[in-house]
Amino acid sequence: MSEDKDWAQALEAHRKYLQRYAMFHLHDAALAEDAVQDTMMAALAQGNRFEGRSQLRTWLTAILKHKIIDLVRSRGRGLPAGTLSLDDDGSAEASFTPKGKWVDPPADWGLPDAALESQQFWRVYQECCRRMPERHALVYSMREVMDLPSDEICKKLDISMSNLHVILFRARLSLRACMTRKWFAVEHG
Amino acid sequence: MGKLMYSCEQAARLASRAMEQPLGAWQRLLLNTHLVICRRCTNFTRQIAFLRRAAHRVPETLEKDGD
Repeated sequence: MSEDKDWAQALEAHRKYLQRYAMFHLHDAALAEDAVQDTMMAALAQGNRFEGRSQLRTWLTAILKHKIIDLVRSRGRGLPAGTLSLDDDGSAEASFTPKGKWVDPPADWGLPDAALESQQFWRVYQECCRRMPERHALVYSMREVMDLPSDEICKKLDISMSNLHVILFRARLSLRACMTRKWFAVEHG
Repeated sequence: MGKLMYSCEQAARLASRAMEQPLGAWQRLLLNTHLVICRRCTNFTRQIAFLRRAAHRVPETLEKDGD
């Protein structure tokens, strides 16, 4: 009995991290809480078989990824349209002229990796992720942050590989434009 | 020859797709040719690769002391 209690406490120690992780993908506190709660219940039922804290967190995060996707699927929220055509909302087209030239040509970001050490950079990054159209944002964060393989995302969200490419392309255009405006074209210090 | 050259939109689209799956030899050749002469699309290609590196760091930025 006390073993069960220890296990529950070990899980509880990760709740805040999992909540932030879910929040990053879902942008909705109540939905994120549901995903975390489902994760906790699933983990509790499995019993403790972990050596250390970081191993447990990795395992919990893997469960949480699936719970996030299940929740999104069951509510149909933020999902890409099943039959997205190349030009259904013009968001990629707005980046290019009809002849395919850049409207706002990408300038050099220099050596951007130093920014990864700045807390302010991460605030801007999160803000730019939230500004993406909702149905692009989740696909982008599944691919790039959860690091799920493309074919797995297509299967889970029931979209074609070419839809996935279109969505990721638009998401990247949107994110790089926002990061240029709000970070790389701005003086820091 | 005109049709053998990619527009920036085509090049950027393919640079994005190349992050998901290997391009065919011909597409790769046309993309690389475009990138040699186009600084804008080279910048774009580097930027989306950087944004992927950033994304992989997101989980650790969500860690905080004490939890």
